[in-house]
Amino acid sequence: MSDTPSSDRPDTPVAPDPSVEDHPAAKALFGWVEAKSTGTILFYGVIGLAIALFAADLVVDRHDYLSFAETFGFYGFWGFGAFALAVLSGWPLGHLLRRDEDYYGEADIQPADVEHPDPAIHEREPGE
Amino acid sequence: MNVLLGNFNPGLMLMLVGVVVALMPIRPVRQVLTIAAPLLGMVMLANAELGVNKQTFDVLGIEMILYRMDSLSFIFALAFLIAALLNAIYALHSDDRLQDGMATTYAGAAIAATLCGDLMSLFIFWELTAVSSVFLILRAGTKAAYQAAMRYLGVQILSGVLLLDGIAYVFKKENTLELNAFSSFGDAGAGFIFVALAIKAAFPFLHNWLQDSYPKATVVGAVVLSAFTTKLAVYAFARLFPGFDMLIWIGAIMTVFPVFFAVIENDLRKVLAYSLNNQVGFMICAIGIGTPLALNGAAAHAFAHIIYKALLFMSMGAVLYRCGTAKASELGGLYKSMPWTTLFCLIGAASISAFPLFSGFVAKSMTMSAVGQEGLVVIWLMLLFASAGVLEHSGIKIPYFAFFGHDSGKRVKEAPFNMLVAMGLAAAICILIGLPMAGGYGYQWLYDKLPCTSVQPADVCFISGEAIKPYQPFTLDHILTQMQLLVLAILAFMLLKRFGLYPPERPGTILDTDWTYRKLGYGFASWANGVWKKAGPAMSGAAGSVAGLAYTRIEQAFSPRGELSRGPLTGGAAIWTAGLLGVVLLMSFLAA
Repeated sequence: MSDTPSSDRPDTPVAPDPSVEDHPAAKALFGWVEAKSTGTILFYGVIGLAIALFAADLVVDRHDYLSFAETFGFYGFWGFGAFALAVLSGWPLGHLLRRDEDYYGEADIQPADVEHPDPAIHEREPGE
Repeated sequence: MNVLLGNFNPGLMLMLVGVVVALMPIRPVRQVLTIAAPLLGMVMLANAELGVNKQTFDVLGIEMILYRMDSLSFIFALAFLIAALLNAIYALHSDDRLQDGMATTYAGAAIAATLCGDLMSLFIFWELTAVSSVFLILRAGTKAAYQAAMRYLGVQILSGVLLLDGIAYVFKKENTLELNAFSSFGDAGAGFIFVALAIKAAFPFLHNWLQDSYPKATVVGAVVLSAFTTKLAVYAFARLFPGFDMLIWIGAIMTVFPVFFAVIENDLRKVLAYSLNNQVGFMICAIGIGTPLALNGAAAHAFAHIIYKALLFMSMGAVLYRCGTAKASELGGLYKSMPWTTLFCLIGAASISAFPLFSGFVAKSMTMSAVGQEGLVVIWLMLLFASAGVLEHSGIKIPYFAFFGHDSGKRVKEAPFNMLVAMGLAAAICILIGLPMAGGYGYQWLYDKLPCTSVQPADVCFISGEAIKPYQPFTLDHILTQMQLLVLAILAFMLLKRFGLYPPERPGTILDTDWTYRKLGYGFASWANGVWKKAGPAMSGAAGSVAGLAYTRIEQAFSPRGELSRGPLTGGAAIWTAGLLGVVLLMSFLAA
């Protein structure tokens, strides 16, 4: 079973092209994610939005088919709990179900139609 | 001209074009054909008459109806044609005529299946989808793809054989093969046909062919595969088994279990395959409910899903094409190199997560409302859990680990222009059918094309016969509750990341139920082989000689070194086997 964290793993055999710089549109579209304060702003922004949505729950007239769903903040609490349960289940499930990449002898799944096919996979001798 | 256009099944036209494309050596001609065929198909669909049998003929006493369109088949055929067009644009950079031809044939077979009017025609097109689509996996050119393709073909052919078996029972009892809904499992052939459809729809425990094969297909192939096979099964369920209670529970389980596998899966194309399973679960659940609102929900969800799932597969395909990998543990920070792909992926993610103003919101809400209307509390809670799960694996995990998160240092080129065009068109559809617009545009455009709408000749659902009530997704409380669900789930993600509780992406193989046949079954087969080898020499006399001779002949024909495995067509043995099986079954069917 491999437990190597992703950050410690070597890159794929495909060599990144050093001549390729950041795309010109990247700055305009997503430059804001690089600001140091972005993470904090997003975090507190989402908390603020969550509070606003809970507050709106007090004034918006609800028409759920199932009466218990009209309980204050039901959808919010359910969404939070369901997401957390799904993610946290990943710890025990990972230990239980994860095996080596070559467990079935089929680790090399890079298809031939990528831009730079890995020669170790696609230029093997027949029968190798 | 209109008569010609309206009398010919567009799927058949696509299949013919697919064969021409597969044989066409001139690349530009091939490219024009693959794009023109779905466009022409849309024109043909627009000229078709509702509920009229076309292209009918008798074969051995069976009336075959190759073309019969109604409002249920229309919406699926339209979605398939749009998907075929997007796929053709997405594949323009690739010079692979077999793949181009088989992709068009596969799309054509799926469209023809939705537009035919009898079970025998459905069976033929059903099998053609299996045989044509396997090439999209084989063309990946790896040992893993070859083995997955053989498993895929085996499972798909099994589905076809069961379908044919069920059809034989139907014909024997009813003496007709018209596509009519079953009333119960007690009906002749219903059980066989149900299992055949269940395999194709990837029901729980029958689902692994999907996660096994799609991530091993070519870059283009995975996009094409995502659109047709499972949605054809959804169509067939809506046609043959609407209102079957069992589907409600099966669908609900389908929405929940893939969430847990998707969380720990490292290959992002496999995450999308699990996500596909989860989404089909919503549709199956809705078909099980069977009310007009639920059936509309299933059809709307299928339409929206075909587009946004293709978009997500396209974006991961573009990443795979440029980076050589789609593994989350090897990606990150790609927004710097592929900002347009990132943007389109985010639109797909927002759509599948059902954010208001995106297609998933107007589609999925009908199913949720239908479940609520029926008072199915546990089912409703399961679907609500799955809605948060969708946000986790497709809404956040896919874009976050590919384009943001830990910077992998990869600096690649943006996706090829044709891929961007295909993704841009898909993203535009995701937004346009999610908007509240007046004059029959926005989500109303989609709603007007659903199977049970007041646009149809009568104000009753043509499937269930129940009265149709208009549905309004953009109510203040609906927007509020959906936003609460999504925003609090996003907050959970942020908190789990902040406190280091989000499991890291690790390489590895995640065991699923396919372990039973890939390890346990293979182990048993190896053991049996060992026993055979040891017992073989001990066998003597005439019986032993005959058995040995038969074994040798079979091995000469079917082993990997055998006659049927030679030549350019890999998988020939499986196709021959399937063909022979089909002939035997056809003979028994005719004798029945």
